[in-house]
Amino acid sequence: MASPEVETAKPSESSAQGKAVKVDTGEGWRRLSPIAIAYFTLRSIKNMAQGAIYAVPAIAVTANITDNIQSPNTLLGIAAIFIIFFSSGVVSFFMYRFRVNNQHVEIHSGVFSRSYTNLPFWRIQNVKIELPFYYRPFGFALVILDTAGSAGEEAKIVAVPLAYAHALRKQVLAEHQDSRPLDARHSEEEHQETGHQQTERHASSYVNDSNAVANIAVNSDQSKRYLETNEDGETILNRRSITDIVIHGITNNRVWILLGAAAPFYDNAFGYLSEWLAEKGLQLNQLVGEQTIAWWQFGLYAFVMLMMAMALVAVISIGGALFTFYDYTLSRHNDRYIRRSGLLNKQEVSMRASRIQVISAKQDWLDRILKRVNLYFEQNASIGHSTNELMSPNRLIVPSVTEDEADELSQEVMPQSKIRRSDYQSISKRYILHWVIAGLSIPFVVGAGFGIYIEHLDITAGVTFVSAILLSVIVLRWWRWGVVSDGKYIYVRRGRIGVDYLCFEPYKVQQVVVKQSVFMKRRKLATVQFVLASGAISVPFLPEGFANELANNVLFEVESKRKSWM
Amino acid sequence: MTMSSDNETFSNAQLNAITANENTSASDKPQLHQLNLEAISPRYRVINISLVFGIAFVLIMVASALRYQSFFALPEPLVAAFPYIVVGISVLGCLWTTYHFFADPLIKYALREQDLSLQSGLVFRSLSCQPILRVQHVELKRGPIARLAGLASLQVFSAGGATHTFEIPGIEVEVAERLRQFILDHKDVSAK
Repeated sequence: MASPEVETAKPSESSAQGKAVKVDTGEGWRRLSPIAIAYFTLRSIKNMAQGAIYAVPAIAVTANITDNIQSPNTLLGIAAIFIIFFSSGVVSFFMYRFRVNNQHVEIHSGVFSRSYTNLPFWRIQNVKIELPFYYRPFGFALVILDTAGSAGEEAKIVAVPLAYAHALRKQVLAEHQDSRPLDARHSEEEHQETGHQQTERHASSYVNDSNAVANIAVNSDQSKRYLETNEDGETILNRRSITDIVIHGITNNRVWILLGAAAPFYDNAFGYLSEWLAEKGLQLNQLVGEQTIAWWQFGLYAFVMLMMAMALVAVISIGGALFTFYDYTLSRHNDRYIRRSGLLNKQEVSMRASRIQVISAKQDWLDRILKRVNLYFEQNASIGHSTNELMSPNRLIVPSVTEDEADELSQEVMPQSKIRRSDYQSISKRYILHWVIAGLSIPFVVGAGFGIYIEHLDITAGVTFVSAILLSVIVLRWWRWGVVSDGKYIYVRRGRIGVDYLCFEPYKVQQVVVKQSVFMKRRKLATVQFVLASGAISVPFLPEGFANELANNVLFEVESKRKSWM
Repeated sequence: MTMSSDNETFSNAQLNAITANENTSASDKPQLHQLNLEAISPRYRVINISLVFGIAFVLIMVASALRYQSFFALPEPLVAAFPYIVVGISVLGCLWTTYHFFADPLIKYALREQDLSLQSGLVFRSLSCQPILRVQHVELKRGPIARLAGLASLQVFSAGGATHTFEIPGIEVEVAERLRQFILDHKDVSAK
C-alpha cells in the first residue's frame, strides 16, 4: 500500500535503485500519511503519562474519595482529555512536512516550537524502520534516521508506506557504500605504513573505517556458512524460534517488560485475585491472623503459594520475552549488524561492526544447565541513554543461543576469536583474603559478637550463615575471574554463580589503569583496568609482571596501530 | 603542526619527562614502570591543607555561633553534644590534613610522545595512562583558590565516559596550557 502523497511525487532525477518506488519527493513538501495522527496522539499521551506518573497516587486517592469513577462527569472529562490529545495529534500532523530532495532529508515539525531538520544522506549513520502495531495492518512504517551516533540528533519520518521506507533506507545506505572502496584504499596504505614511521600526510588523512573493512575481508570466507538472505540483500546470521524465546523467558527475568506496562492495573488485579482466592475458600487474613492451623499446614500453604507465584512469574517472563523477541532475526548488511524483533511493535536495532567494542557472552546458572548463552555486542555506552535496556542502541542482544552458535556469532564479529578456552590466567588467592579482611571480617565479628553478648545465639548463627554464603560467593568470584590474551584479542572471564566471557580488541582501549595497594605491592600483585568506550573492564590481583606486561602491550597496540575505535 | 614544533613547545626544562615511545619495535615496548614521573606543584598540597583548615574553622565557627548566640534556646541534647561536635570536626580535619600531607606529593604525571600518565594514591596507588590518540577534548579547570595560587587542573576526556576522565590536578597554569597545546597539536587529535 502506498500513500497518495508519495505516489504523486514528481519523477526524480536519481532513480539509481531499481525499485519502482521513487525516493526523491522533488521540490514540493510532503505530508505524512494520515495514520501519523494516531502516532502523534499516542506520543503526546505517552509523554503526558511519563510526566504525570508521580501524580498518579494523588489522582487515584482523589478518585477514591469522591468515588465518582462511574459518574458521567468523569467520563466526560476523560473524553475531553482524549479529544485534546487527538486534536494536538491532528495539529502536529498538519504542521509536519518533509521532503527528500537532492540527497537531503528535510523535515519541518513542531507546533509551538517549530524545528527544521536538514540531513544530508552522507551524514546519516543509520536508518531504522519501526512498525508500531497500529501501523502494521495498513503497511506503514516509522523511519528513524540516526546521525553521528548522538541520540539527540535523530530525525523521524513518522508515517510513510513500508515500501517507501525500504527504498529510502536502501538509497541512504548506498551512499555509505559508495565511499567504501575509498576507505579501503586508505586503510591499506595505512597498514603498509604502520611498520615505519608514519608521515604527517597520511596520519592527517587517516580514515576511520579500516577496522570494519578488515573485518569484512576476513569475514568473507566465513560468510559461506550463512546462505540465507532476505529481501534487502542482508545475510541472515541468526533466527530465534519460539522455543528459544521461551527458554530465554525462563532463564532470564523478563518480567518487567510486561509488568512495567501493566503497572496502572495492579490495584484492580490484586483486588480480583483476593476475591478469587476468597471464593475458593482461602482467606489470607484467617491464615495469618489466627493460630487455628498447624505450622506444617501453614508451611505447606506458603510453599504452594510460592510455587504458584514462581510459575506466574515464569509465565509473565516468557510473555515478556515473546513480546520483545518474537520473530527475532540477526542479519548483516555490509558492515552493519541488524536485529529485528517484536510481537506487536516490530523494532530494529542496528550497529556498525567497527563500533562494537566488546562481545560479552553471559551465562546464568540456569543457562549453564541448559547450555544457552546470551550474547551481547556492546558499543559506545555514552551514546543515547535509553531507559529500555533491551532496545538500547548500545547493546545488541542475541537471546539464548546455544554455545556453538555463540562461538560462531562471536567469530563472525571478531574473526578467529575463541571465547571458551582453558588458558585463562587466574587471579591470586589473595583476592579472597582481601575481601574477607576488608569486607567480611568486621560485620561478622560485630554481628556474631553482638549475638553472643546479648545471649541470642540465633543471631550469631544467622550472621555466620550469611557470612558463609558471602564467603562462598567471594570464592566463586575468585575462581571465575581470569584474563588471557592471544595476541589479537583479550579475553576476560568473570562471574559469580553465572559466568560472563568478554572479548575485546586491545587497540580499542581508551585508557589503561594499573592499581596496586601497598599490600599488593609487597606480594607483587596488581589490578589492571581497561577503559573501553562501552565501559571499564578490570581484572584484580594479577601477578605484577603479568599485569604490567598486559598494560604495556595494550598501550603499545593502541599507540602503534593507531586505528580508530569507532 | 609537525612533531619538531611540538618538541619546541617543550624545550622548557620543566617538561623533560618526554620520552619517545613511538619508534620502538615490539621487542622493546615502552614500559609503564620506567616512566620519568614529574611531581605536580607543591602548592597543591598547601592549597588542599589550607582548604581543610578553612572548612573546619568555618564549621566550628558556625557551631559555636549557634551554641553561644542569645536569640533562641537550643534543645538540651544539642548543647550537650556541642563539645563532641567540635572534637569530631577537629579529628576529621586532622585526618584529612594528614592524608593530603602524605598523599599529595605522591601525585605525579608523565608525558610521552603518545600518552599521558598519572600516578596517585597513598594506600591504593593507581597509575593510569591515557593515549593521546583517544583524547576527545581537553579542558583546563581553575577554581577561585587555584586561580589565586596560579594552578590549574588539566582534564582530558576520552570516550571512556565521565567516570574515567583523566585529570592531572594542581599543575602550574603555564605547564597546563602547554600540555593542553601539546595534546591539541598532536597529530592524532588535530587530524580528526
